[in-house]
Amino acid sequence: MVRALRWWWGLLLAFALLAISRAFLPLPFVNEVLIFSIYTIGCNFLLGRVGFISFGQPAYLAVGAYGTAFYLFYFGANPYLGILLGVLSGLVVSGIVGPLFVRLRSDYFALVNLALAVIVYYLMQKVLAGVTQGDNGLWFLANIASTPVLDLGKPEDFFVFALLVGLAVWAFYKYLDDSIYGACCLATKANEDKLRFLGYSNYRVRLLAFVIANTTTALAGAMYAVYLGFVSPEITSPSRAADPVIVTILGGVGTLYGPLVGAFIYTGMKDAIAALVGNWELLIGFLLVIIMLSGEQGIWGTLQPRLEKLLFRRRLRSAGVGAEARE
Amino acid sequence: MTASDAILNVSDLNVAYGESKVLFGVGLRVAPSAIVACVGRNGAGKTTLLKSIAGFVKPRSGTVSFGGTDLVGRASYDIAKLGVKYVPQDKKVFSDLTVRENLELGSYSTQDYDWERVYGYFPKLRQLLDRKAGYLSGGERQMLMIGRAILGRPQVLLVDEPTEGLAPSIVTHLKDVFRDLSSSTALVIVEQNLPLVCAISSKVYALKEGHIVAELSRGESITVDACERYL
Amino acid sequence: MDPQLLPSGVIFGLSIGSIYFTMAIGLSLCFGLMRIISLDQLLYYSLGGYITYSFGVVTGSVWLGMVGGTMVAAVVALAVERLVFRRIYEREITFSMITSFGVLIGGIGVIQFFWGVVPRPVAVPMMTQLNVLGTEVPVYRLVVIGVAALVYAGIWVFLNRTITGKAIRAGIENVEHVEGLGINVSRLFTLTFVIAGALSGLAGGLHAPLIMVYPQMGLEVLAFVFMVVIIGGLGSIKGTLVSALIVGQVVSLGSLVYAPLAQMAPFAAMLLILLVRPTGLFGSALLKR
Repeated sequence: MVRALRWWWGLLLAFALLAISRAFLPLPFVNEVLIFSIYTIGCNFLLGRVGFISFGQPAYLAVGAYGTAFYLFYFGANPYLGILLGVLSGLVVSGIVGPLFVRLRSDYFALVNLALAVIVYYLMQKVLAGVTQGDNGLWFLANIASTPVLDLGKPEDFFVFALLVGLAVWAFYKYLDDSIYGACCLATKANEDKLRFLGYSNYRVRLLAFVIANTTTALAGAMYAVYLGFVSPEITSPSRAADPVIVTILGGVGTLYGPLVGAFIYTGMKDAIAALVGNWELLIGFLLVIIMLSGEQGIWGTLQPRLEKLLFRRRLRSAGVGAEARE
Repeated sequence: MTASDAILNVSDLNVAYGESKVLFGVGLRVAPSAIVACVGRNGAGKTTLLKSIAGFVKPRSGTVSFGGTDLVGRASYDIAKLGVKYVPQDKKVFSDLTVRENLELGSYSTQDYDWERVYGYFPKLRQLLDRKAGYLSGGERQMLMIGRAILGRPQVLLVDEPTEGLAPSIVTHLKDVFRDLSSSTALVIVEQNLPLVCAISSKVYALKEGHIVAELSRGESITVDACERYL
Repeated sequence: MDPQLLPSGVIFGLSIGSIYFTMAIGLSLCFGLMRIISLDQLLYYSLGGYITYSFGVVTGSVWLGMVGGTMVAAVVALAVERLVFRRIYEREITFSMITSFGVLIGGIGVIQFFWGVVPRPVAVPMMTQLNVLGTEVPVYRLVVIGVAALVYAGIWVFLNRTITGKAIRAGIENVEHVEGLGINVSRLFTLTFVIAGALSGLAGGLHAPLIMVYPQMGLEVLAFVFMVVIIGGLGSIKGTLVSALIVGQVVSLGSLVYAPLAQMAPFAAMLLILLVRPTGLFGSALLKR
């Protein structure tokens, strides 16, 4: 019981903080932060744990969003089923392209994903315009049926839903980090030869990571679709290709709570800059360069060790363990 | 020999890769026109020693003094230009470039186009001028590496495992070349081939786990047995 | 497909491929020598286009604008290399990719600040049409092809006939050995980066009259240019030429068969090629540092 609590307490604290922030911050903002952080955690996992950088995350976001949108626009009305279908389509697509992509070196991987995002963009905008209604997008807010307990059509209920989904996703990624598989991922990033000598297949480790990460991204896309009640090709526009990468870096690569912190600050900044200056590219771009040049640890990556020091110093001292021994 | 006669004077050199220390307070002195050999087992830090003299590895502390100038902290191209050249172990010539182009690059920084001198040591290179260096044999590559390095008449030549994997006839040839070169250039050679070391060196340093454990000079007898004792 | 359209389609594809090639050659050299992926080249491309536009408006000559665009792009590239890239050459390749994307996005912000977000048309400097095999072909497109051919010849001569170029080729194989010969590698890096920036600027200037200039124009070609580099094999000059020609033709002829194919077909081609050769047509698996 105590052990379970110790495992969960960080997660619970983080999401409790988000739940409380709902009292001070506008609802659309917190909803956006929640979805965005789910969107980012896949990218964070790929970059921080497996060493694969992807500039093509919007492709998988769009797959999830359109999977949900097609169902809600043409076939049914149940938003939960819609999200499930969005996630499934993400699973299928990443299962198809994954075996091709993960064999590539990390630099080729990044660019191939970017190309995929561009292709999905044109696919949705032009080639499949008959089904997707091109740039006008699919509007289906009115189609979404109200459901008992949590009515996803209502932003307040959606917030509770997103909070629960977020908690589940984070618990899952924390579990992955702690597992042998998480260790294998780090090993394939650090030294693929040695992992092979231990009898693991780099290819399988990477493929699984790719499918997990991009299915999570598709989940975020599906949630966007239901939340906004509308999907257009803009979601996979090349000019937004780097959003998740930026948020990953901003929060701190490879840290568990980095995506939450990054998404919170990025969304807030984007809103603030758009309102005040109207030219957010300028600031985001230079912020990114500055973060990279100043040690690439990101905001959470810089804060985390300090917080730990502050919180645990007393406990460690009483246990007779020096701060250095923790390293 | 006092420190002032030495053309290259390394003292108290400490080198580490990240957390793992490789060299501990290493010092060596090289007189002009001497052949100094460094022997030791694999992983003793021999290559690291040469690389830190040549500026490819930044030492934690210590000095490398070359004719009065401190080399520590200088860029490696600068050190090469000053006259301390490093011939790496890997025998990687620029394989996409011809032999001629490889030699041109050797000439570039020092403006020394005295290729005849290089041909004097390695006549074979003259016939291979227009061949791509990627097609050369191991021995020919080593000739090219050394030939490229001695353009510009360096005052100190740092040679890393020159005979590794080469045929005996080429080793003999290189032995003569090194002897001959030492009239104008001081050589620091890292070598596993102890008979060769004993035949040409005027001083031998034995390196063990990052420490200099012995210094044998001409005065005492440099023999294979004496060297082996410290390995 | 109308066979009458074939000659003009081929020339159209050649001119598109020429622009991609002019950009991709610099990217490829940067990757080969410095092992960086410099997404900010797309910024110099946009800058080249915008300077061409502004010079064209002020002086009345688009040609002069292209020269100016090339020069401004080179100067900006020099500044970015000094301020940013100098500090990140030693890092992993993903590091340069992210940082250069920051430069690209920030630069787009700067362009929006100076020129606004509205697309601007650039006058085509030559309106003449030429009759090729019974179809009318704009002479300007032939000029673009000619310029790209000159760029290829110039780069070839530079790399094979000058000592600096030879040092760059040697550095693509092994930077440390070049430095060991007493050659200042960091100066080679700067030179290569500036050449790449200038070529990107030139490509932007050449492309500007064929499209309109707008802040996101760099992001639009980004995928195509990198496709060229990937298909050719990162770091290979010959590969870049071949793949630029392939991608240009696939875009052009693909759109003749079915218009939306213009954007899709090169991607399919890339996937196919990478499936057979995971390091591109002429890329070497050894190029890993």
